Amino acid sequence: MPEAIALNVKTSDREASTSARSLADPRRASRVVLAIFLAPALLVYCGLTAYPAFRTIFDSFFTIEGIEATFVGLANYRELISDETFWIAVRNTLIWSFVAPVLDVATGLLLALALYAGVPFARFLRVAWFTPVLLSYVVVAILWMWIFNYDWGILNAMLRAVGLDGLASSWLGDPHLALASVIVTHAWKWAGFNMVVCLAAIHSLPREVLEASELDNCGWGEKLRYIIIPMLRPTLLSLYILAFIGKMKIFDLVWIMTQGGPLWATETVSTYVYKRAFNWNTFDLGYPSAIATVWFLVVCASVVILNRLLSTRDRLEY
Amino acid sequence: MAQSSALAQHPAPLPRLFSRGALALILAIYTLYTLGPFLWLATMSVRTTAEISADHYAWPRPFHWEQFRSAWVDSDFATYFWNSTLVVVGAVAVVTLIGAAAAHALARYRFRGNRLIYGILFSSIIFPPQITLISLYQILVDYNLYNSLLGLSLVYVSLQLPLTVYLLEGFFARIPQDLFDAAKMDGYGDLEIFWRIVLPVGMPAIATTLILNFIQLWNEFLFAVVLITDPEKRTLPIGIRAFMGDHFQDIGMIATGVMISVIPVIIAYVFFSEKLIRGMTAGAIK
Repeated sequence: MPEAIALNVKTSDREASTSARSLADPRRASRVVLAIFLAPALLVYCGLTAYPAFRTIFDSFFTIEGIEATFVGLANYRELISDETFWIAVRNTLIWSFVAPVLDVATGLLLALALYAGVPFARFLRVAWFTPVLLSYVVVAILWMWIFNYDWGILNAMLRAVGLDGLASSWLGDPHLALASVIVTHAWKWAGFNMVVCLAAIHSLPREVLEASELDNCGWGEKLRYIIIPMLRPTLLSLYILAFIGKMKIFDLVWIMTQGGPLWATETVSTYVYKRAFNWNTFDLGYPSAIATVWFLVVCASVVILNRLLSTRDRLEY
Repeated sequence: MAQSSALAQHPAPLPRLFSRGALALILAIYTLYTLGPFLWLATMSVRTTAEISADHYAWPRPFHWEQFRSAWVDSDFATYFWNSTLVVVGAVAVVTLIGAAAAHALARYRFRGNRLIYGILFSSIIFPPQITLISLYQILVDYNLYNSLLGLSLVYVSLQLPLTVYLLEGFFARIPQDLFDAAKMDGYGDLEIFWRIVLPVGMPAIATTLILNFIQLWNEFLFAVVLITDPEKRTLPIGIRAFMGDHFQDIGMIATGVMISVIPVIIAYVFFSEKLIRGMTAGAIK
């Protein structure tokens, strides 16, 4: 009996001390509690992100037909180097990644400045300009395929209406125009997003500086050039990087509008991987895995490099 | 509030550069450029294909609302709609719950590897989709989850997990520690704290991630097109795409189907525009 009491005392002592400790530092939790909170997310991450990513890299050293995998070493990578279509896809994707973000961010900034300057109906305009961001790529692609339609698309209809029949073109069918047409479509979708971010950033600028510039009789153009744009630099840069990464991954819009055609004019790395893996009847998942692996490394490296180059002071967060 | 009063103090400085009329014209044209295609689509969705072929830009007269019934019933858009609803609602519910749990642990507790786990979970946001796509196809085939809405939902959970953890961690970290200390004093356990305090207090942020995840997954195309080939299991985006492939000339019906897919997004936007925009832009501004 006395022993039992002693034991009881001991356990309650221990309980008291643990609860005292947890009260002293509520930022600590037992492993069990942490596991309960973190395990589901980590499980999903490991099973559906990390494992597939490693498996793709692993697969890139094989030729995989159905369930048969043959080890081929670096053969897929060697083939990749001499694959002309791949290099066309890389070129198109890079053109897109470097050019289109400038268009997106510049349009977004101009729209944000218009709203900031207090144009009438600003609330309505903000909503209207943001609407395309919400539409899925399928919707945007279908809409713009109609807009670009040679016979009755509104673009050609307008050109014909003002007498510029010669400029009416088969926008998505002409290898020289197709990439630009798809880029314009993409910019249409994303300008509103950049506008909202720029607007928020402008509104968070220190008011004193803007007021001081107004007292100094600084013109709108000067204010823009010497104050607003330099102060928005971090925001504009992170928008540029965000858009850049987005473009490196671009698939949906291209696939639905042109399937990479005509004559590979709009082929991107993503559409090419998709074609090789699921669309052409090559029945090999090894080669597209190699493309995906290379591109994965390129995207990761670009993010790191852009981060270093562009925003030395401000770390990129998105 | 502060903004509008500031604007009142400094009446529009732009007109110094442009004349008012030119600016208004540019704004009107840009607005037409963003909204025009959408309105064109809306008018076409209530016109028959024969009417559209006769004149692509006429105002609908009369309004053929029965186009929606026919798209819903005869053209399988109802199937696609409910598939999308099932997949997206399921995935959003799960990703929000497990994302919130992980975000809470990462934001609140000090333990070895905290930042490492956060970095691992978050870093996959930059992954190009192909790096997981091909293998996910193989994995889902292996586990009999290919062509299954459950499989697609699981993939969607993994796709939105990094963003969800990122947004919620940022918000949860700003909940005052006093609240937790007080709860501990009252004898709340760690799980109770999460369930009774973090979730209710974090509701604004959770609502933001709900809307954002909903819209992104509702519009998702690439993974759906690879992981679902069975016509019965198609989600709306791939259903519309397939319909367009089969009935290229049936513009009226395509437009109606597209409107069916757009309406839930527009409704979500009308009710939650502020939350949605905050979620979408949270990462870009610091």
